[in-house]
Amino acid sequence: MVIITTRNKRYAVILGDHPLAEEWRILCQKTEQFHVEDVDICLAKGIQPDIIIETTNYDLEKKRADLLRARPLIADDTLILTSVLAVAATEAASWLENRGAGQVVGYATFYPLGERKVVELAPALQTDPPFVDRARSFLELLGKKPEVVGDEAGLVFPRILALIINEAAFAYMEGTATAADIDLAMRLGTNYPQGPLAWADEIGLDDVYAVLSGLYRALGEERYRPAPILRKMVLAGWLGKKRGRGFYRYDNGEIREHD
Amino acid sequence: MIERVGVVGGGTMGAGIAQISAQKGCQVLLYDVNQEALEKARQQIEKRLKNLAAKGSLTEGEAEEALQRIICLTDLEKLESCQLVIEAAPEKLELKEELFAQLDQICPPETILASNTSSLSITRLAARTRHGERVAGLHFFNPAPVMKLVEIVKGIKTGERCVQQLIQFVKKLSKQPVVCRDTPGFLVNRIARPFYNEALKIMGEGLADVEQIDRIMKEAGQFRMGPFELQDLIGIDVNFSTTVSVHGGFFGESRFRPHPFQERMVHSGQLGRKTGGGYYHYP
Repeated sequence: MVIITTRNKRYAVILGDHPLAEEWRILCQKTEQFHVEDVDICLAKGIQPDIIIETTNYDLEKKRADLLRARPLIADDTLILTSVLAVAATEAASWLENRGAGQVVGYATFYPLGERKVVELAPALQTDPPFVDRARSFLELLGKKPEVVGDEAGLVFPRILALIINEAAFAYMEGTATAADIDLAMRLGTNYPQGPLAWADEIGLDDVYAVLSGLYRALGEERYRPAPILRKMVLAGWLGKKRGRGFYRYDNGEIREHD
Repeated sequence: MIERVGVVGGGTMGAGIAQISAQKGCQVLLYDVNQEALEKARQQIEKRLKNLAAKGSLTEGEAEEALQRIICLTDLEKLESCQLVIEAAPEKLELKEELFAQLDQICPPETILASNTSSLSITRLAARTRHGERVAGLHFFNPAPVMKLVEIVKGIKTGERCVQQLIQFVKKLSKQPVVCRDTPGFLVNRIARPFYNEALKIMGEGLADVEQIDRIMKEAGQFRMGPFELQDLIGIDVNFSTTVSVHGGFFGESRFRPHPFQERMVHSGQLGRKTGGGYYHYP
């Protein structure tokens, strides 16, 4: 029997103010094996955490700045999990250069994490294989099933879903049908678990846009060009449910109307 | 209210549309050029109605009445008396254009002429008639008696009255109408393209294999089936030709570009479940 005391708890640092940050914090605390500590406190006290989890997608400058700020905390055995919705793990790892690049493993999942049984992982080109195993074990400890795939922005599920949402957004923007009819069509015509536009509202349009623009930037292919309406909605702060407005308008999380 | 419906074409879709229309109380005139095809359609409908009665979804009396409401005929002129004619002929432009030109002559101007096409332009079919305002798309999904969704497609000339009547008709069939403009792939076939295309691209880039992609889409995304399993079910050739059609309809827009590997699968003759194997093996 393992008795977990405060003393042998490990430290986890979670970076960013993405809704997933709070979910990671709760999941880590539930294991009773981690102290989730603020990055500033770690820097002040010289604590080197066991794991650093980074969560930013839309604002890549902030993402990079967050990782670089945490860089002094990286010990030789610190695992660094970084969200790879908008960049490949290889790119995020490249920012850390000689301190930590080999310890980076990318993860991709859409909000809400609590509802996802599976979280995808991808090693950067630079990643030392043992860190992939540690990332797997960490997810399993949190009750998630890891799926290790190749490294490219958005990995598998977020990439495919973001493209479906993008197509729905183009159709909506072009006046092909109303948002409600587009969602009904995809739920009833091809059995999707949610209509793509309502799904985008739940995920957050900023993250959907981050995947598309990340792929567009990385691969340079026109097929990833985000629908202009998505860009404008993100700029206007119509990010979906969390802001009360996206493709639909919300009152206390319930759809009030659609445009 | 539409009570008298003509269905043109006794194939799978035509028979299914005739069946559900009759089940919901419409008088149905089912037309096909081919007497044998009509006979087959009638048998198929009878079998399905009996199955529904056996399951208790319908009473035996209701099943019998529904069957009685369907009249099969090989004379297109007889559709004159219908308030709505739904064309469900094979997906060939010339054939459908010719049918619309004939129906336009046969039916009075207030009769709605609808096409069940999944890929052809409604505006183009309407151009063969003198009254484009009464022409629209009425896109049922296979199997038509079961699938809840019907896309009502507005061509450039389609009138609002026509759309409203079709909405009422679809509701009468206990189905869910959605209204969309006449664009390539309409809603479902267009917006579903990336589900298959991007999965193929991810596989092609060597990032994940077929089974892993299917597993992730089901377990992380809650999709009922993965993109490769679903292609096997639909038929990889059918899926490929839908993609080719939407890609062509949008003049080569790269979002719809078909994946070369999917074409290779079609070349191989491994088309999915119907051939015993596609991306997966079906012993």
